[in-house]
Amino acid sequence: MSAPVGPTKPSSSSWVLVAVAWTLVGIPLAWGIYRTLRTAVKIF
Amino acid sequence: MAGLLAKERIIAAPGFNRWLVPPAALAIHLSIGMAYGFSVFWLPLSRAIGITQSAPDDWKISTLGVMYSLFFVFLGSSAAVFGRWVEREGPRKTGVVAAFCWGGGFFISALGVYIHQIWLLWIGSGVIGGCGLGLGYISPVSTLIKWFPDRRGMATGMAIMGFGGGAMIGSPLADILMRHYATPTSVGVWETFVTMGAIYLVAMLCGAFGYRVPPDGWRPAGWTPPAQRSAMITTRHVHVSRAWRTPQFWLLFTVLWMNVSAGIGVIGMASPMLQEVFGGKLIGAAGALKDLLGDQRAQVATIGAGFAALLSLFNIAGRIFWASMSDYLGRKPTYFVFFALGIVLYAFAPSAGRIGSVPLFAAVFCVIISMYGGGFATIPAYIADLFGTRFVGAIHGRVLLAWSAAGILGPTLVNKLREYQLAHGVPAAQAYNTTMYILVGLLVIGLVANLAVKPVAEEHYMTDAELEAERRLAHEAGAAR
Repeated sequence: MSAPVGPTKPSSSSWVLVAVAWTLVGIPLAWGIYRTLRTAVKIF
Repeated sequence: MAGLLAKERIIAAPGFNRWLVPPAALAIHLSIGMAYGFSVFWLPLSRAIGITQSAPDDWKISTLGVMYSLFFVFLGSSAAVFGRWVEREGPRKTGVVAAFCWGGGFFISALGVYIHQIWLLWIGSGVIGGCGLGLGYISPVSTLIKWFPDRRGMATGMAIMGFGGGAMIGSPLADILMRHYATPTSVGVWETFVTMGAIYLVAMLCGAFGYRVPPDGWRPAGWTPPAQRSAMITTRHVHVSRAWRTPQFWLLFTVLWMNVSAGIGVIGMASPMLQEVFGGKLIGAAGALKDLLGDQRAQVATIGAGFAALLSLFNIAGRIFWASMSDYLGRKPTYFVFFALGIVLYAFAPSAGRIGSVPLFAAVFCVIISMYGGGFATIPAYIADLFGTRFVGAIHGRVLLAWSAAGILGPTLVNKLREYQLAHGVPAAQAYNTTMYILVGLLVIGLVANLAVKPVAEEHYMTDAELEAERRLAHEAGAAR
């Protein structure tokens, strides 16, 4: 069996990429949730 | 040189940020999740020739609805058949194939609409797209579990939440596009299929190329595996070809089958049940639903649509909430909650209707649906705990056949029971009650199956030599760099 790979911390610049990636999937998801919420409030 | 899509090509370099993997998985799951929203096309397609109203040669909605059966049959079967290939070839190649199947399915369907051939829609979106669903669904599971050994449930919950949320984006987008493309001679569906196929193809390719797999034995900085692990979490691995011979596999299959069957049953009847049980009370008028006037019925239907939307929000919220909770509670106790609380809530739902409280009734169904979503999102981590991480994607693929089985059992049970009761003179509003009690029976079966889950017997685990042979097969030998 291969030895476990030593833990390495993510580079600080990688967090910018993380923010960009999450924004790219987050915007359409937030839009979809907003549209659904607008329909859902009709029950109240 | 390894191919662009090869597994050894995507082994993460030191310093890679694991939080980049969940959005890549979400890009794929949000795309394929549109499968749930396909009904947005049924009405326009039912007047594709007549444009303003259905012509004799137009497709019937029941004919179009075959698509849903194809989706879920091919999702389950492709995940089961290709699961081992997915593990061997890695998530990038799988994601790319899924992108071409799902996006390509839209293009074939567009052609089918353009030349008005229903079989092209069934083959395009139903069969080829259905295979894209299965491959796309399982593509990130194994990878996420390896990147997040400390939070397996949360990691897979994030991706599977996307499958629940895909229709929330896709349905309104399709509606906007169809209005945009509609002309006096076209309902705008084939143009919408081409546009959405292109969007999904690009989004899924971006997701697939965003995947990275951790080097063998990688673990997060600052995390050490707990010295005393629960007996229900193994550090060893069961081969996919052996997993289905264990009782644990069939118990998990039953757990998922029963949870999903009961959930699908409820999803189909929750909104009509609200309208039938509360009738005019929903709009401040007296009388049952059948006594209301046309515009009053329309108002009640709007509230019913709002209720369905509310449930879909709880469906996706439940996926991330319950899967994350399972990291703290444990997988078996989480499913115990699903079934035990589910039994109480399903049994109480008719009483909530009789009490006459809309908020209470809605709250009961919201919790029920959150646990339906939670069941999907927690099962990959449950599989990884019991069978190890080596073949979790492939084993998950086979367990997903329970979803296909549930797609048949849930709706059939609910619809047949309702027809039987109505034929025997049971009032419409009361006909739901017996159905809810039957669904309680499914949950009891699930509860018993979950309670019977024990750690896998020693003889089923792979030896070190078998593991090494598998690594070589999976192109991992000497790949760490």
